[in-house]
Amino acid sequence: MEAFRTEGLSKDFGGVRALSNVSFNVEVGEHVAIIGPNGAGKTTLFNLLNGQLPPTSGRIYFFGEDITTMSTHHRAHLGQARSFQIISLFSNLTVLDNTLITLHGTKRSRFQMFRPTNTYKYLLAKAQEMLTTIALWEKRDELVKNISYGEQRRLETALTVASEPKLLLLDEPSCGLTSAESADITDIIHKLGRDITVLLVAHDMDLVFGVAERIIVLHYGHLIADGTPEEIQADPRVKEIYMGIEENTGNATAS
Amino acid sequence: MATAKLKEAIKQPWRGQLIRFVPYIAGGIILVVLPAVLPSYLQGIWTKFVIFAIFATSYDLIYGHTGLLSLGHAAYFGAGGYAVALLMLHYGIDSLWLGIPVGILIGAAVAAAFGFIALRVSGMYFLLVTFALAQLLFSITWNVRWLNSPGMMGIAGLPRPDLGIPWFSWSTISLYYFVLVIFLICLFLIYRIINSPFGYALRGIRESEPRMRSLGYNAWLHKYIAFIITGAFAGLAGVLFVYYNRFISPTHIGIMFSFLPMIMVIIGGSGTLLGPVIGAMIIIFVEYFASLFTPERWPLILGGIFVVAIMYARGGVSIHLSRLWEKVSYRYGSV
Repeated sequence: MEAFRTEGLSKDFGGVRALSNVSFNVEVGEHVAIIGPNGAGKTTLFNLLNGQLPPTSGRIYFFGEDITTMSTHHRAHLGQARSFQIISLFSNLTVLDNTLITLHGTKRSRFQMFRPTNTYKYLLAKAQEMLTTIALWEKRDELVKNISYGEQRRLETALTVASEPKLLLLDEPSCGLTSAESADITDIIHKLGRDITVLLVAHDMDLVFGVAERIIVLHYGHLIADGTPEEIQADPRVKEIYMGIEENTGNATAS
Repeated sequence: MATAKLKEAIKQPWRGQLIRFVPYIAGGIILVVLPAVLPSYLQGIWTKFVIFAIFATSYDLIYGHTGLLSLGHAAYFGAGGYAVALLMLHYGIDSLWLGIPVGILIGAAVAAAFGFIALRVSGMYFLLVTFALAQLLFSITWNVRWLNSPGMMGIAGLPRPDLGIPWFSWSTISLYYFVLVIFLICLFLIYRIINSPFGYALRGIRESEPRMRSLGYNAWLHKYIAFIITGAFAGLAGVLFVYYNRFISPTHIGIMFSFLPMIMVIIGGSGTLLGPVIGAMIIIFVEYFASLFTPERWPLILGGIFVVAIMYARGGVSIHLSRLWEKVSYRYGSV
């Protein structure tokens, strides 16, 4: 079954074409990595898939439904979740508050105005279970800006999967982590199970090859390769981009 | 020697329990007991302080919690005030039971209209749009004759509200206690709102709106609802202000009255329940003392307070007070 599909997705920023005619589809439960040099359009693609930006042209389908013009929060209710490249946790709120806000996001109670948040016992229990798993329960009353970077990453990743999404968009989940911490992230993704589709953007090739069953390569907004890790490793165009040898165009700015 | 004994006595467990109530007792004395024994003109100042505490608390809901810096808050305050003043002026309706709901509704309605426009932009543009809309209302009240008493600017000579109790007549102190009760109700409601999932969501939006959207929150709608709620509370403060002041003029919709709640919240401490109240207290009392000595220099003094607060009490006076209190209670209270 198909989890989502894009058709001819393009995005212009002023005169700059950040994405050009990108079409691909992802099956339910697939773990797909998007790679490409800086400026290849990976984050733009994420922002289109998640609804943070509207596409200039093209369409996006999510479980068969056309979500091209749907707002981000509606997509969240359909089962999309994303993490951000730059940690976007609420840094002036506590670890527990961050968790509770995340858990309320897809519940009707998010508009509840007169019932104190800490009376939602089942959500509190869920928060405790989650934070205990990532060893942050003891630090639940610390402000997020006061915990370490690795802990913030761990919290961010755990919160992204907290809403039990169908599709997980992970933008550089291992950015700035040590290799041991990065291996933790790989573990978390492996433990997700087969009903969650994962799409991740990463520079960290250990993570990409550790997690992905399929790799999509973007270069200057164009989709240039799509295949299994072995196929991608063997693809001459990908080698060109990553080795910086541009035989055809003579343009070697990819870094 | 005597102090050592005192410390010894204070370290007794039951003393430790008692000391926790000291802030409540102090608050009770300042708000409830003290006004009863003060001369009537000071009771008036206390009334003004409590009204502005409601006004500033309502502002903190959108500034401190939601992170929207607005410079048009006087519009809802003034709209509520004008609504009851016009009811009295043109229709002779001075019932409090009608005046308060009407003021709240008009405050909320103006906020709903302004918010609908202003919330399309953010940051500095939001500030400018709210300011422009409030100035628009200001100039309407300035120019439309129906909105003013004959032959003057503003509406003057307003009666005290009618409670519907035949033998009851207002005194300065009864008006004060009435305002105090409404203030406590407002404080309770706002306390509930900021601790609810909705209040948490507002702080989430303050911290990172894109993240809130991808978590499934309709950020715009949350902000809009918060804006309307804050307008309702500001409208209520405006009604009480008219009952207290018995006069309202375009000045009460102007920039100064939009600036006051902002400065109160910043000085007192934003995002806290106590902060706006402390801020209102400081500003109103300093304004009163300034008016005794150098009435014409009040803006200068206000600016001075602002600079000092930004430089030496960042985060607000209430933060420093509660930190001081933690130290004191740790020293004398913990067993």
